[in-house]
Formats: sequence, C-alpha cells, structure tokens
Amino acid sequence: MNTVENYIAPGSIEEAAAALAAGPVTIVAGGTDLMLQTGSGAIAYAKTLMNVRRIAEMQGVSIDGDTIRIGALTTITELKSDAIIAEHLPVVAEMADKFASDQIRNASTIGGNICNASPAGDGIVPLMMYGADVVLASAKGNRNVALSEFFTGPGKTVKADNELLVAIEIAKPAAGFKGGFGKFGPRPALEIAMASVALGGVVKDGVISNVSVAFGAVGPTPMMGAKTTALLEGKTLNEETISAAGEAASEEVTPIDDVRASAWYRRHLIRVMTEEILNDVG
Amino acid sequence: MDQIVEKPDTLIGAAFPKPDAPDKVVGKTTYINDMVLPRMLVAKIKRTDRVHAKILSVDISEAEKVPGIVAIATAENSPKGLIGVLKDNPPLKGDKVRCIRDEIAGVAGETEEAVNRALELIKVEYEDLPTVFDPEEALKEGAPLIHEDKPGNIGLTFDFEHGDVKKAEAESDVVLEEKYELHYVTHTCMGPGCVIADFDTHGKLTIYTQTQYPYNYKMDLAPALDIPAGDIRVIQPPTGGAFGSKLDVYPFEPIAVYLAKIARRPVKLFFSREEEFIASPTRQPARVYIKQGAKKDGTITFRDVQVYLNNGGYTSWGATIPAVMMRTMTGHFRIPNVEFHSVAPYTNNPFAGSFRGYGNVQATYVTATLMDKMAEELGMDPIEFRLKNAQEPGERTPQNSLLKNAALADCIKISAEKTDFLKKHAEYTEARKTPGRIRQGIGIATSVHNAGGAKIHKSDGCGTILTMDDYGRATVITGASEIGQGIDAVITQLVSEELGIPPSDVLIANDDSAIGPWDVGVHASRTTFIAGNSARNAAVKAKQQILAAAARQSNVSADKLELRGGHVVQKDNGVSVTKLDRLIRAMHFAGEDAELVMVSEYYEPPSELEDKNHVGDISAAYAHGAYITELEVDTLTGGVKLHKITAVQDVGKVINKLGIEGQMEGGIAQGIGYGLSEELIIEEGIVKNPNFRDYKVVTAPEMPEIECHFIEDDEETGPFGAKGISELPCIIPGASIANAVYNAIGVRFDNPPITPEKIVRALHGGKAEAAE
Repeated sequence: MNTVENYIAPGSIEEAAAALAAGPVTIVAGGTDLMLQTGSGAIAYAKTLMNVRRIAEMQGVSIDGDTIRIGALTTITELKSDAIIAEHLPVVAEMADKFASDQIRNASTIGGNICNASPAGDGIVPLMMYGADVVLASAKGNRNVALSEFFTGPGKTVKADNELLVAIEIAKPAAGFKGGFGKFGPRPALEIAMASVALGGVVKDGVISNVSVAFGAVGPTPMMGAKTTALLEGKTLNEETISAAGEAASEEVTPIDDVRASAWYRRHLIRVMTEEILNDVG
Repeated sequence: MDQIVEKPDTLIGAAFPKPDAPDKVVGKTTYINDMVLPRMLVAKIKRTDRVHAKILSVDISEAEKVPGIVAIATAENSPKGLIGVLKDNPPLKGDKVRCIRDEIAGVAGETEEAVNRALELIKVEYEDLPTVFDPEEALKEGAPLIHEDKPGNIGLTFDFEHGDVKKAEAESDVVLEEKYELHYVTHTCMGPGCVIADFDTHGKLTIYTQTQYPYNYKMDLAPALDIPAGDIRVIQPPTGGAFGSKLDVYPFEPIAVYLAKIARRPVKLFFSREEEFIASPTRQPARVYIKQGAKKDGTITFRDVQVYLNNGGYTSWGATIPAVMMRTMTGHFRIPNVEFHSVAPYTNNPFAGSFRGYGNVQATYVTATLMDKMAEELGMDPIEFRLKNAQEPGERTPQNSLLKNAALADCIKISAEKTDFLKKHAEYTEARKTPGRIRQGIGIATSVHNAGGAKIHKSDGCGTILTMDDYGRATVITGASEIGQGIDAVITQLVSEELGIPPSDVLIANDDSAIGPWDVGVHASRTTFIAGNSARNAAVKAKQQILAAAARQSNVSADKLELRGGHVVQKDNGVSVTKLDRLIRAMHFAGEDAELVMVSEYYEPPSELEDKNHVGDISAAYAHGAYITELEVDTLTGGVKLHKITAVQDVGKVINKLGIEGQMEGGIAQGIGYGLSEELIIEEGIVKNPNFRDYKVVTAPEMPEIECHFIEDDEETGPFGAKGISELPCIIPGASIANAVYNAIGVRFDNPPITPEKIVRALHGGKAEAAE
C-alpha cells in the first residue's frame, strides 16, 4: 500500500494539467470507486493526490448551438434532475435513476464513472449510445475522443497519465429521437449491472432510423451494438424485427461467466431488455 | 389526606423502545470497534493463500524491521492449545493449513499502516497437498486426509431411529425421494470482528469481546492461552450484531491475547469487511437426501433422512446443527417412523458456526417444500395435507419434545384464512396454463422451534442479582447478554412491572463477567424466556422483602399490599402506605435491623438433556409458526418481487410489541436472503464474493409488507406467559418463498438461493450451455 505524500486541489484545468505534467498523480473526484479500489489494494495511490472538485470549468451541463457539454464533475444526481439532460438526453436521466443509491449518486461524477472504465459502468452506456465524445485536457492542449473508442479493456482507457477528462460533448440527437435504458441486477437499488442496454432511434410511420445501440457488462468494455444497429436501421418496427434485433443483440455481445452471472444468462438478459426497449419506443 | 395511586397501564405487551436505541441512532454508542485504550496497539492477521498445504517455513525477519511493529505471534512463539468444538483448531498454524482462513501470524504495531506493511513482508513457504471440497468425496477411500488424527475425515455424526422405516415404506401408497443442496450464507454483522486483549501486571487478562456467551467463553478460551479460565475477565462493549456468529472462540481472539502478552500492552485486533466475509463462521451448508412416505388419505408414514455436512477444515458449532435440524426432521408433523443420520466430513472449505435458526433453517427449507410436493402428489391441497398431519396439544415427538399447547394447526388455519390462501393458490396454479410474463404465487411453510430454552449444557440457567438503591431505583445485574436483540428492554419491562416503578428507574448491568452471574449465552431463542424468568423471579423476591417491611411498618398485612407507581399501596383501594424510596431508606437505616433490598435468583428451566439416543424433552416449551409469502415472478428476467409475508406465530405472550415486531421483521429479512439472494460462493475452498456488492443481502426496497399475527396462549412456565420467538422468523421465510415460486411458475428449487438466473435457466433451458 502506497502512502499519499502531497495533496493538491487546483482551481483550474490549467493548474491541474500542469500538475499532471509534473509527475504521477492520482485524481480524485467523487471517490466512490477510488476509495474502494485503494482500500482493497486493487490500485495504489501515486505520491500526489489531486482533488479536482474545485475546478469550476468542469462542472455543470450547458448547451452551445447543437452541442451539449456535460462537465466531468457533474454528479449522477445532477444528471437525474438537469433540465437540459431531461429535454435532450432523457436516456441519461433514466440511467441516473437506476444508478446505485442516492448517497452514491450524490458523490459520483460522470467523469469518474467513465474513467473508472468498468465494463458495467452505468453512466457510460447511454452516453455511448448518444455518440458522445470525451474531452481530454493536458498541458499540451485538448483533444476529443469518441467514447466508443475510449476504452481498451477493464479499467483501461486511451487517456494518457498526463491527461484529465474534463467534459463530455454530445451532438443534439435528431428531432424525434427516442430511446431507453435497461439494466438488470437482482436488487432494485445498490446494484451493479449483470447486463445493460441503451438503445434509441427515430421512429416515424412505424419505421426506425438513426438507430444507436450500446451494451454494458457484456464484454471487456462497454460496447456499441453495430450489428443490432445495422439490422434495425430503416426497418418497420414490428414483432418480427424486434425479435430479430433481440437475437442479433444477444449474439453480438461477448459476455463472460463470473460470480454475478453466466455468459448465457447475460445474453438472455440483453435479448429481453433490447426487445423491451424497442417495444417501448415503437 | 390519603394519596390514591392509580394502577398504571401494564407494561407487558406495550411498545417499549429499546434503551440502547437512541444512542445508536445518534451515533453516540461506543462500539468495541470504536474503543481505544491508553497505549493500545492495533493488530491484524497474516492469513494463508492456500487451502491445503504443508507449511515449510515462516520468515518474519523483514516484517519485524518495519518501524512501529511491536509484536509478531506465530505458532513457534505462541501457546499450543487448541480451540473449537472438537479442539481441532490451533489458533496459529505451524504444521499445515487446511482452509483459506488459516492464520499464519498475528502482527501488532503502533499504526494500521505499519501492520499492513509488515503483513506483506511475512514470507511463507508451502508444499501444496491434494485437496477435497465435497463432503461425500471426502468420505471416499483415498481422499486427502485433512487431520492426521481423524481417519476417513470423519468429524461429528448424529444418528436417530424411531419405529420401523423399512416396514413403513413398504406400506406407503406414495413415496417421495429428494436431494437438497443447502448453501453457504454468512451473518454480515454490521460490526466486523474485533477483540481487545489487555493483561494486568498480575498476569490476569481482561478481554473486550463481541462474544454472546461470556461465561463459557472463558472455559473455551483458556486452553488456548495457558492461563486458568478464572484469570479471564470478559467485558462486552456494545456489538454490531452477532446472530450466532459469536458463540464460539475463533482464532483471532487468542491471537490478540498472544500479542498482548508479548507486547505487554493492550492489543486491538480487528477484521476488514472482506475478512469478515472470509474468516467469520458461516451458516452450515448441507446436502440432504430425504425420503418421505404417505398413505392415500394423506397420513405421513415415515421419513428417512441422510445429511452430509461440509465440515470444512475445523469444527465449530456448524457441525453440531443436527441437534436442532433433527427435531424438525423427526418431529415437525406427526412422523410415526423416522431415521436420521448425519455426518460432517472434514474438507478444505472454510467452516461453519452457529447462525440464527441453527440447523432449522435448512431442515425447514427441506421439510416445508417436501410437504408441498407430497400434497401435490397426493392430490391434496397444501393446507389440508398439513392439517391432516399436524400434532394436537399434548403430543410428544419421537425425540420426546412435549408439544404441550401445540398451536401448529391454529397457525396454519389462521395464516390460510388471513391470506385467502386456497383461492389464490388454485387461481395461480390455473394461470400457469395461459401465456403471460408476470406470474403470481403464494406459498406456505411451517416450522417448530424450542421456545423455552434448550438444554444442551448441563445447566440452561441464568442468574440475576437485583438491588435497590436509596432512591427507589433498581439495578438488575443479569447474566444475559445484550447483543442488540433487545433483552435489556424486556428485563426492564418485567422488573418495572413487578416493582411498580417506572422503566426509567431500572438499570441493567450485563457487560462484565466479573460482576454478572452465570448464563449459558444468547442462543436458542432462550433469553426472554430464561433470563426473563430469572429477572422476574428476582423482582418478586425483592417485592416480597419490601412488602414484608412495609407490612411491619404499617400494620397492614403484606398480602393486602402491592407496589404501584413508586409507592406501597393497599391493594383494594390504592391508598399509599408509603413512598417506595422512603421505605427503602427506612429499611436501610434501621439500626440493628438494617437491611438492603438485594436479592439473587438462579433460574433453571424445567427441561432435560438428550440421552445418548437423542431422546429428551430439551425445552420447557416449543413454538410453531406458519408463514405465507405472496410474490410475483418475471418469467423473462427471473426477477422475483415479494408482495407480502403473513407471519403467524405462537409467542406465548407478547412482552415488548416493538421488540417482537423488530425481531420478526429482521429475522424475515434474513430468511428472505437465505431463500432468494444470499450466497457465499465458495469455489475450491476460495470465497469468491467477499463483499456487499456481490453478496446480496436484502435491502429496504425489496422488503415486502409484513403482517404479524401473534398467537398468545400464555405458556405456563414463561415470564408472564412468554415464549422465545427470535429464530422462527429467520427459519421459515425461505421455504415459503420456494413454495410460492413453485405456485407461480411450476418449478421446484432444491438448491437455494432461488436467483433470477436459476429461474430463467429452469424456464428457458440453456442448461447444456450453462457454465456451473
């Protein structure tokens, strides 16, 4: 177990980026994952612990033209009740209502949920479905990475050690875009997903288009459902299509057997939830 | 002018708040985990990472160099005494390790950080040994031997026979033969394991512990310490739950003592939450083969039971659960012919201890689901079949439990009426024939449990010392431990009632073995009954002494006086003769006739030990319960949603309405966990889910509505008629859930917990692809 020697709490992204450029830093925001992982020994603290919660530029949800920006420090509770989210990204609000418990939602930040890179991370799946980018800041400047390309494995991302995830950017969904989020675990609250699905599209005259699908807890990273998307795009949303989509979804996911569920059961849940959402949006 | 004292409302049956509750709610309670003694060191345990291996060497040289490390205890520098029910467990392992919990060293230091660092630096070399994890495999010839002195890996066995099972089977019209696999669950106490050991300069030990049996605890602890039991003083600070998990001595306790001895300083040893999951005892898992027969008219003819208990590496109370399991297997419903055999083979799994309900949780899951299966086989409804075989008051079971006022039939009838059981049961069975995603189900389960103590030691008694001070206040020193279950409230009510003083004038002292009189411990639903009788009898003695003095002073005969509202009053008109505190001072300061009100009582219940054939009326009373669960099953996800549990239980007499409802609801939450969600997953001896994320205790949103109906039949030997009540609420719900799930979807689960995945597999196949 490593001990923290320095504690810093920068007030700006610039200061934070400078600290990251100077050497190994452990970043803390809500701490709901970090505290458990350092406590169990799964990850070790760097010598410097940097609390980013005082950085005002990383807070809040805003809209600029066709782009919605969610500050990385936005808590899950804030996502649940934010007016912009409710209007433009309702599937994110739906997710926030199914996320852990009130206490954890109050502390957890969406940036932290993404950087934790859990294959089951609830916050990630609807944002991926909406085609979000993450904004990574460093002393050298900012870069945007598609959330769908951000993860490389459980707990692993393309974010460099000297980078800070400062915001999520999402293009406003097309007019009439409708979606849903499904998550299953045996408990109604305080539950890690055995499997999750976010799915959306524009349904007009019974035909679905602009389809997007993402899955959680069914592979080494949250994943996009390319085959399910392709199968659905432009199709009339009837019982046959919905059933075929459920089957495609259950086939394209790559779950494993673990202590929470078998791969077989996870595929089954993906199918059930995919069909459920399609029935709701259709 | 005469003062009239009105008779206050009785406290018996009142909703009386637990005296310890307000401090717990506001965070003021100093639990043992919060305690800090001057110069105290903190300590932790170096555990093995093997399940069966020879220990070749233990190197502590690097660990000793860590700044702040004061003492390291290993098998080499520690006493060699053994602990456990069969004295088969060395607190520190020197020759070999037998399960994943095994303790290699204890480390004490100034800070937790230093101790953690030292733990990492202890190097252990092993030679792995062949392993065995399955109890039946462990009995086979050539199986790896866990203890060299236990040939065949055989631990405890229990055997009971009554009547002629073979003949009864031949004469049966219907015979069912089933196999059950009952799983590992653990107590999940809010307060993880913790102990503080402190020697004085005379070599006497004070141990601060979470134990729930402080007096025999000394006897079990002493052999491991090389000190006389009499040199141990047991202090019981407030503890965050026990539920049976603190009914034995476990290795961490002597290890803390070894460290305190070496360091010559107080040592506090504590568990992390992960360690609590891995290293505290579990409920005993059981593999049960059972055969039951019946005549066409529904009369049960026999039961034949063979149980394999996975003993794990060492023997604690888990292996003794047949003592309780057997009473239900052989004596719940009228079973004219019965055989029960059990064996607890050693394996390389972690080992089990006692847990609320003891073997009866397992026995009830088996028997209550089997009763349903048999009813269906016979074409009878679940209520009719049970009533046909329910004992009448006054019957004796094959093991000689005297069911004096058996309320089984009443429990069944009332619960069925309250829930409209038969109508719903038939309707939901019928509904299975038509398609639909959500299925409703209703299920009943019943059980019986000792409710007037349980004589498993030569005495099942409890002592009380009651004194009254010069201000009319009572101090009750009881042997009974308060581990959160609410005995302080019950004793306060009983004493307050007898002495006619307000409950706020009663103080309970029960946290120090140097002061308290002997008691067996908190187990077997015994404390309200045994300690309650003891406290009440003591209060009656004090009352007699007081009334005798009042009679001398007032020239009114004692039988015409009573205590009421802090006064001695005339029974017939309530006229105060004297204030109680004034009388007590007068008694105290009476010159040569001076007396203090200071009485003692040792209550021994009218019960008997089992003989060597397991026959004996071990409890002064027995209680029945019938619980009905209503639920729905999502046939696509396998999710189960509980609507309501209706609990009908024979309680003798309610003493504390708040306390009894709290115990019922808490027990039901544990029972639901057993049936639906909780499982300590152990694969090849390793605990796979040692955390609250993956060990699914029931949380508030999953709790159904609970409706309790108390049958109050005034047990003649109980305090104000009360029986013990606390285990049945944990024992029965799992089986009633299983029966309700069957009613909903037509699938039996003989391997709880009934998880969503098991339900989906059963309904949608996929067994071939299933990874087990």
